[in-house]
Amino acid sequence: MSIIDSIKSKAVRSPWLYRINAGSCNGCDVELATTALIPRYDVERLGCKYCGSPKHADIVLITGPVTAMVKDKVLRVYEEIPEPKVTVAVGICPISGGVFRGSYSVPIMLDDIIPVDVNVPGCPPRPQAILEGVAMALDIWKTRI
Amino acid sequence: MVLSIFKVLWNNLKQGPSTDPFPFGETFTPARLRGKVTIDPDSCVGCGVCATVCAGNAIKHVEREDGSGKDFYVWHNTCTFCGMCQHYCPTKAIRLTNDWSTAHCNEDKYKMKEQEFVAYARCTECNQAMPNMPHAMLDHIYGTPTKELETIYGLCPECRRQKSAQQFGAHIHD
Ligand code: SF4
Ligand code: SF4
Ligand code: SF4
Repeated sequence: MSIIDSIKSKAVRSPWLYRINAGSCNGCDVELATTALIPRYDVERLGCKYCGSPKHADIVLITGPVTAMVKDKVLRVYEEIPEPKVTVAVGICPISGGVFRGSYSVPIMLDDIIPVDVNVPGCPPRPQAILEGVAMALDIWKTRI
Repeated sequence: MVLSIFKVLWNNLKQGPSTDPFPFGETFTPARLRGKVTIDPDSCVGCGVCATVCAGNAIKHVEREDGSGKDFYVWHNTCTFCGMCQHYCPTKAIRLTNDWSTAHCNEDKYKMKEQEFVAYARCTECNQAMPNMPHAMLDHIYGTPTKELETIYGLCPECRRQKSAQQFGAHIHD
């Protein structure tokens, strides 16, 4: 085992979660806040914590249908997140456009502009489903560091 | 006031941690939680009401070219779990289960769907394709089935009209 591999295997794997609202109705954001803030669901048991700056983030959770107005801003913030990063689309909005699909202000889906790793559909998904998505993202992240 | 906080603390000590054990253990799922949709092709009459009322535009019916029936798709990645399809379905062929586990890799995005084939029935008289009517629904429309009704169940609307007219003595030309 090379030195790098040995360090990798010993490294503490505690990713920082970061959240981007790409025009969400707030439903999914409330569920995300619920999974993080209230002890009942407690996402920190998986070793991760929310952070306030994209520069610190490892796993990015994106809600909302990526409206025409917010698209460039999402891309700008996404670029700030250092590699390796894992993207999770939360709610049906970023995955397919959801109930807003076909609207003049929702011209694209999230995976048209950035690589998405995990999808958690639902409108909104329940906290347990989000936890499941974060756990999947963690596994992917471990293969990338 | 001070006493009540002691009561809360005491209850917390008694009940232990309130954190949901998921994902390290089983979670509680209410029986009526609205989750992934399932379809029962045998009770579906293919009326399309579910697709009309679907808030998320998740339901698609595609007629097969050979006229044998319809392919019925529900794409979970745009379903809002609103339950309108179940509410308006006349035969309760489409139902929401309480399966909320939806997380998947983006490569499987378009595989997250329910797919069933809804076969058409054939008229016993002229072999014309017609919606498959479940017995429960026919009984609901026509009342207690008699031998005569049982024959009518197998006829397409046109043959049924002719048969009824003949019963009243009308002479039908081809
Ligand atoms: S998926 Fe539903 S709850 Fe979430 S942002 Fe979109 S409309 Fe709101
Ligand atoms: S639950 Fe609502 S969104 Fe989902 S398939 Fe039924 S009607 Fe459509
Ligand atoms: S599932 Fe129900 S509403 Fe939808 S086409 Fe079949 S019978 Fe009609």
